[in-house]
Order: sequence, then C-alpha cells, then structure tokens
Amino acid sequence: MPPLNYFVVESPDEVGRNAYERVAGDVLQDLDLIKVIDRLHIYVDPKVPIFVAVGLLRHMPRAIRVADFANVNRGEKEIVLDIGDETYLAPLLQKLWVIYGKENVDQPDRFTVVLPAGVAGDEDLDRLVVADPSETLYKDVIYALQYIAPEGFKVRRQYIREGKFYYVASEDTLPTDIVETAVVPLFEKMEVTL
Amino acid sequence: MTTLVPVTYKGGVYRHDEIMDLIDDLGGYIVQKHVMAQDVVLQSFVPRDDIELIRRIAKPLAGEVVEAPLVGTEIAVVSPSLEIHHLPHIACDIAEYLRRSGAKTNMVGLARGFGKRIANLNDEERDVINEHDLAVYALGNFEECIRQKFPAIRREINVPIVVTGAPDRETLMRAIDPPVEGYVGGIGRIMHRFKRPEELGKLDELVDEVSRVLDARRDALAKDPLSVFPPRLMAIIEEQIHEVSMLTHPTPVTAQMEGLRVKLPYDSYADDVRLLEVAEGVALGDIADVTPSRMRNYILIRIKPFSETRILV
Repeated sequence: MPPLNYFVVESPDEVGRNAYERVAGDVLQDLDLIKVIDRLHIYVDPKVPIFVAVGLLRHMPRAIRVADFANVNRGEKEIVLDIGDETYLAPLLQKLWVIYGKENVDQPDRFTVVLPAGVAGDEDLDRLVVADPSETLYKDVIYALQYIAPEGFKVRRQYIREGKFYYVASEDTLPTDIVETAVVPLFEKMEVTL
Repeated sequence: MTTLVPVTYKGGVYRHDEIMDLIDDLGGYIVQKHVMAQDVVLQSFVPRDDIELIRRIAKPLAGEVVEAPLVGTEIAVVSPSLEIHHLPHIACDIAEYLRRSGAKTNMVGLARGFGKRIANLNDEERDVINEHDLAVYALGNFEECIRQKFPAIRREINVPIVVTGAPDRETLMRAIDPPVEGYVGGIGRIMHRFKRPEELGKLDELVDEVSRVLDARRDALAKDPLSVFPPRLMAIIEEQIHEVSMLTHPTPVTAQMEGLRVKLPYDSYADDVRLLEVAEGVALGDIADVTPSRMRNYILIRIKPFSETRILV
C-alpha cells in the first residue's frame, strides 16, 4: 500500500472493508496521488447508505508566475519576455491578450514575446500569476474519491480547501447536518479540526 | 450413437485445413474458428473415441487438443455498470476467461444497474439476457448491496444464473433468495486486472461452476433430446445460405445449447431460414422456432425437443 502517513478504511462489513482498501490503493496509485495525499480516512456503510472520505493534502503546489519560466527584459521601447519553459506559454498569452489586447502582444518566435513599453506600464509583470496547478489538483483529488466511492452513490457533497478535503456520498438525499455528524468525527480521529 | 465432446484445437495456420477436414470426416463440427496471426484456434465437437486420433495427426503440426467444457454455449456476462470510471472491469476478465474455455461470451452492461435501491433492469436487457444459455452476474463488494439489488436485476430472467461477488460463497448463498444455480465468492469490484495467482484461481473456480451448471442442463437435455444438434444445424445453414459466409462477424452463426443465433436481418431472411431443408422432407420451421432476436436485427432459432416434433435429424 501507498506510503501515506495515515490510511484507514472503516466499514461494518469486513469483506467490503478489505475490498475498499484495495480499491482506494489502486485508484490512488493509478492517478498518481500517493505523493499528494498525506492522510486519508474512509468510512463506508452500505446499510445507511453512506460513503465518507476525509483527508489532508501533503503540500499544495504554488501558483506559477511569469518569473518562474521567463525573463522580463525592459527596454526603452519594448518589453521582451524571454521564455525558458514553454509549458505555460499558452496560458501566458491568453492572460497578456486580455490585459494588453491582442494587437499589442507580438510573438516573433516560439520563445519570445514582445510588448510595447508604452502599453505595459510599470506594473509588476514578473509577479503576474499565469496558472494555478492546485486547481487541477483539487479536481484530481475529488475525481479520485468519486472513483473510489460506490457507483450508485450519486448524491454527494465535496470540499477541498487549505489542504483539507472531504467527500460525502450517498444513494439517498444527504441530511443537512451530514458534515457535523459524519465528517467532523472522522477528522477528529485524525486529530485534525475542520 | 457416438458422443460428441467439446474440444479446443490450438495450432499453427500451416496445414490447419487438414485438421478441419479431419474433424469434418470424423463427423464432428467446428463451431468457431479463430485465426490470430500465426495461430489457429478451433472450437469444435468431435467424437470422444477419435480425440486420440486427432492428437496423433496434429502432433507433427505442433497442434494440441484440450477439452473445453464451454464450447457451443453462449454466455452473457452481466455487469451492473460499464461506466468508464470503473475500468478495468472485472467483467472483461471474466468474459475473456470464459472465452478461453470455449464459450461465446457477450458483455451486457446494464443502463441502470448501479446502486442498491435504484438498480433496475429494462425489458431489452431482460430479453437479451434470456437469449443466452447462462448469465454470469458480476456483482460488487457488499453483502447488503447484493441482497438488496439482486432481486431487481434478475427479475424475469429464466436462464441459469451464476453470481460472483466479494463475499464468500456461503454468504452469497445466504444473501440471495430465491437461490441461483451457481455462486463464486471472492470476486468483487477490483480496480486492476486479474493477475495474482489467487485471483486467477477464482476465475478457474468460475469456469468450473459455469460448466457444472451447464452440465446439469445438458443432462436434462439428454433425457429429451433436441430435434437436431445445434452445431449440425449450424453446418447446414452455413452450407445452404451462402450469405452467411459474407458476414464479417467473428461468429456469423453462433451456436447455443438449444439453438442458434444467425446474424442475418430477420425481415429479409426469416422465411428463407424457415423453409430451409434440414433433411429429406423436413424444413427448419418444422423442428425449430425462428424468432427475431432482441440483439440488433438478428434471427434467433430455438430448436424444439424430440418429444414435441417426433423428428430427429
């Protein structure tokens, strides 16, 4: 099983518990999330029916800024962005088009973007946020939990913020106090407060 | 009367036609022929006494003959859902393994089979499953769910059923009421391919369970035999309706235990099939029901028993 710091699957049905431990292990491994998730506690009871997963993320990747992959060279007439890594070039261009207008953003070759100095003022171009990988990470984690949960449990509530996440799913309507009654106690077992 | 036993012949493409001719000459039938690159697999029925002869002739060709209990059967592997986020599906591994034992398997993914309270079976799924010789239901991990949902997804299914699920065999037997014909425990929802020895062992157990159930059906059939042996009828259809040879399906005519599925459009060919002369003065329509299949626009032939027709071809 994965090197999570804490990994518990609870269920009144022992056979189901073992099966879900393997299902969760397989899914986290397949989606390459073992390094991302620090602790995970799953509770599943088909009689209620309820599936609860709570956990902590190891660390969130920080936002990618222009300075992370490009050099900003300010000249008299123009600002030249010298791109080091193309990975985030497309979102960068999108951002620049929105801010400065498409006609002002020139890209003479793959690794160079030129802006007229007059249009781009003194604002801190280096610090411009281009992409936030944590956004897709959130989606990946929630997708993994959706993947692990029994398929018939279509009614769900999910949360992921500041390194903590939970996912509650059921076949029936979820009661309004489900977070207090089902999620908080599991966080307490991990000695974490939501 | 010679007894025909189901066997699989595996060998190379080179001179495999000699084996096909031999089986034909011995009075056997080839139900399915697979050519995969350099290899040939023949699913066939051959007289029991002649297996050794075929082995001997196949030896220089490096061919082998193994008994395959499921040849000539069509099995539905029913999964409550074939949704993408459950891949890889255990139903695929089950279907593939049954195929290796000679069965023709079809996967049936239910449209709304997931969930325990909300699971159900629609009329098309029900009819399609009922067109098979046997249905294998690949169920999930929780006893409680199996207990609740299974009555809904077996409603009006009248073919023998073998159930698989994560709980052990005894628990499955307890959970399922009224009982079904076979149970295999320890195969639940698994998110990886079957690869460990104990998992492969479970598949062998499943094949044994399926053959046991089908053998019981064969014994019952032997007491009141069909008017014609399905592979024999298959050979006659393939010989006389030449359009069959132009079909691109892997099995243009699929043999079942009590009938055949002919993959020709019902509307244009049903009458030709009914009028087909099976033997001197006997039309196919006299000894079998020719009905439209719920699977696409195929023709389903159900052979009537001897007691009903008083004809044995």
